Amino acid sequence: MPLGASRRRQETRAPDNADALAALVVQDLDGNDVRLGDLWADRPVVLVWLRHYG
Amino acid sequence: MQLHRDRDKFEAAGVSLAVIGQGTPAHARDFIKANKVDGLRILVDPARESYEAAGAKIATVNELLGPRVVARGTTSALRTGLFQTRTRGHPAQLGGVLIVAPDGSVPYAHLADDASDNPPNDEVLRAAGRAAKSA
Repeated sequence: MPLGASRRRQETRAPDNADALAALVVQDLDGNDVRLGDLWADRPVVLVWLRHYG
Repeated sequence: MQLHRDRDKFEAAGVSLAVIGQGTPAHARDFIKANKVDGLRILVDPARESYEAAGAKIATVNELLGPRVVARGTTSALRTGLFQTRTRGHPAQLGGVLIVAPDGSVPYAHLADDASDNPPNDEVLRAAGRAAKSA
């Protein structure tokens, strides 16, 4: 499919809790590992997933 | 997605704001420069594992380029200059917004149903305020 698009319409699946997200590791701008669960350890966090950068 | 422009409002509401993109750190630095959002917490996930765990979806062609997207999304994106440069990452990967509380609960979720589907900033701000009060 063009653009790597899905052939069939998908449904989004918002999680009931963040257990599956907590252990995932992403990188900051300097390439350092950041465990996602650390982002909400002290206070709530608004997490925004971008479609793409540009 | 315009939430990053209201970062100060989220901080004032007692929540953090973090943006996750699917490119490399260099792409993220370009994004910060282009959108004038110095100091924004921005993270990169080229493998898109967190997109999957968040429940975001891969769009169909119609959900990327259909009339609803053209009417709502593309013009808005052009106006704000968010999509100035070429696509980086998986072009059909959609994004979304989750609020996660310290107990790991997810009191708010808005995952994009098509490329033009972003939640209103006010709606997310209100949900953030509620989450901060009950945290």
